[in-house]
Amino acid sequence: MSRFWRSVLSWAVLSPLVVTTILPFAVMISTALKPHAEVLSYPPTWLPQHWAWENFAEMWEAVGFGQAAFNSVLIAVSATVLALLIAVPAAYAMSRLPMRGKGAYRQFLLVTQMLSPILLVLGLYRMVASIPFGDATMADTRLGVVIVYAAYHLAFAVWMLASYFSTIPSDLEEAAWIDGASRARAVISVFLPLALPAIAVTGIVTFVASWNEFTVALTLLRDPSRLTLPLKVVNLVAGRYSVEWNQVMAATLLATLPVAVVFTLLQRYLVTGLTLGAVK
Amino acid sequence: MLIAPSLLLACGVIGYPFYEIVRLSLSEVSRFGQIRGFAGWDNFIRVATDPIFVDALIRTLVWTVTVVGGTILLSVPVALVLREDFFGRGLARTIIMLPWSIALSMAAIVWLWAFNADYGMINATLRQWGILAQPLQWMARPETAFPVEVAIGIIVSIPFTVTILLGGLSSIPGEIYEAARIDGARPWQSFAFMTLPMLRPFMNIAIVLNVIHVFNSFSIIWVMTQGGPDNRTHILVTYLYELSFYLGRPGPAAVVSLVVLAIVFSATAVYMWLREREG
Repeated sequence: MSRFWRSVLSWAVLSPLVVTTILPFAVMISTALKPHAEVLSYPPTWLPQHWAWENFAEMWEAVGFGQAAFNSVLIAVSATVLALLIAVPAAYAMSRLPMRGKGAYRQFLLVTQMLSPILLVLGLYRMVASIPFGDATMADTRLGVVIVYAAYHLAFAVWMLASYFSTIPSDLEEAAWIDGASRARAVISVFLPLALPAIAVTGIVTFVASWNEFTVALTLLRDPSRLTLPLKVVNLVAGRYSVEWNQVMAATLLATLPVAVVFTLLQRYLVTGLTLGAVK
Repeated sequence: MLIAPSLLLACGVIGYPFYEIVRLSLSEVSRFGQIRGFAGWDNFIRVATDPIFVDALIRTLVWTVTVVGGTILLSVPVALVLREDFFGRGLARTIIMLPWSIALSMAAIVWLWAFNADYGMINATLRQWGILAQPLQWMARPETAFPVEVAIGIIVSIPFTVTILLGGLSSIPGEIYEAARIDGARPWQSFAFMTLPMLRPFMNIAIVLNVIHVFNSFSIIWVMTQGGPDNRTHILVTYLYELSFYLGRPGPAAVVSLVVLAIVFSATAVYMWLREREG
C-alpha cells in the first residue's frame, strides 16, 4: 500500500475520534466569540455573525477572573514547590542510596498514588477544619488546599523523579567524590544540574494537575475571593436559571488555553516519564 | 532520612482522614458533624438498606465497565493506527491527546453546553440532518444523561490509554513482522497471534489503572447532573459527596467511603500482582 493510501485510510479510521475531540474546542471558541443574543438564537451557527471580543472583558469583570486566576496560580505554584521540595530528596534516596525497606516504600507510594482525595473527602474536610490557623481553622484557606494537593501529588512526583534519576549515570558523581568533593557538594554541583529537566517536567505535571483540580477545592474553599478558576467557572453554571454561556465559554477558554498549549508542547517528555512510571 | 518528610506528609494527609472516616462510620453523627456517641453497625445497616446506595453501587459497576471497556476497545485500534507512518501523524497524535490537558470539570461544562436542549450544537446538528424532529432534553432525563456521561468518560480516558499502548507497541521489534510475512502470515494473523499477545501486559495495566481512575471519577457526573435527575445518575463517589456535604449525613457518608476504599484497595492489589507477574 502506498503512503498516500495508508494516510487516507489512517485518517478515515481516526476521523470519528478526531471530530469528537475537536468538537468541544470548536464549541468553546465559537460560543466565546458570539454576542449573547446570537448564542440564544436558533439555529446556531459555527461562525459568529458579529465577533464579540468584548465577551472577554465583560467576563473578566463579572467572574472576577483576575482574582481567581491569581488564586489558581498561587495554589498550583505553592503545591508544586512543596511537593518537589519533599519529592526530590526522596527520589534521590530511592534511586541512589542503599536503603532498607525500599520495597516497602515503593509499595507505599503505589498505594497512595491510587487514592484519590474524593475517597477521603469527608475526613480531609474534618482534618483541615480541626487545624487552628490564625483566628479560625485551615478550612477555607488556600494553604489547606496547597497541603492537600502536595500530599496527593507526592507519590506520583517521587515515582516519576526516581525513574528519571535512575537514567542519570552515577559515574559523574563518583568522579566528583574522587576529586575530593563531599557527597552534598557532588549532589548540588553535579547531580542537580543533570536532574533539572526531570524536575522541571515533574513540576509541570504537578502544576497542571493542581491547576485543573476540582474536588478538593470545591470541598475546602467557600469564600468567593479564594475560589480557583475551575470553581468559578462551574459556579457560573451550577444551579442558575439564566446562564451567560458566551461568558462561561470565554472563561473556560482563557482558563484552559495556556495549560493546553504547555501540555501539547511538552507531550513527548511527559509520555516518556509516564510510561516509565506506569509500566517499568 | 531523606524520605522521612514524604512519609510524614503522606501519612498525615491520608492516614488521619482515614482514621476520621472509620470513627465517623461507627458513630452517631449530627448534621453538623458532631459525634454524639457510639453507634455500632447502625450506619452500615442504614447504608445497606438504602435503595439509592444499592442503585449507585450497581450504576458504579456499569459506569466502570462501560467506560473502561469502551476506552480499551477504541484505544487499541487508535494506537495501532498511530504507530503506522502516515501524513500528518504528529497532528493526529496531538489532537487525540488534547483532552488530557483540560480539567474534567471544564470539559464537562463545555459538553453540557454542547448538549443544551435548545441552543446546543448537538441538537442543532441532529435536527439539521433530519435525525431529530424535536429537540431532545439530553441532560434532563437519566436514560440519555447517563450514556452521555459514559461517552465523555471514554473520550477523556483515551489519551492516557493510547499512551500506555503506544509504549507497549514500541517495545515489539519490527523484525518479527518481517519474519512472519516471509513465513506467509496474513496481516490479521500477525495481529491476532503476535501483536495482541505481546500487547497483553500493557492492556492489563491500562485496564487496571483505568478502572481505578474511572471508579474515582467525580467531576464529570457532578458537574453535569449532580447525580440527578431523581438520583438516577449517581455513582458511589457522587452519592458519597452529596451525603457528606448536601444531605448532612456524615455517618452513612463515611460508610460509603469505606466501601469505595475497599474496592479501590482490591483493584490496587490486582495491579500490584500484575506488575509482579509481568516483572
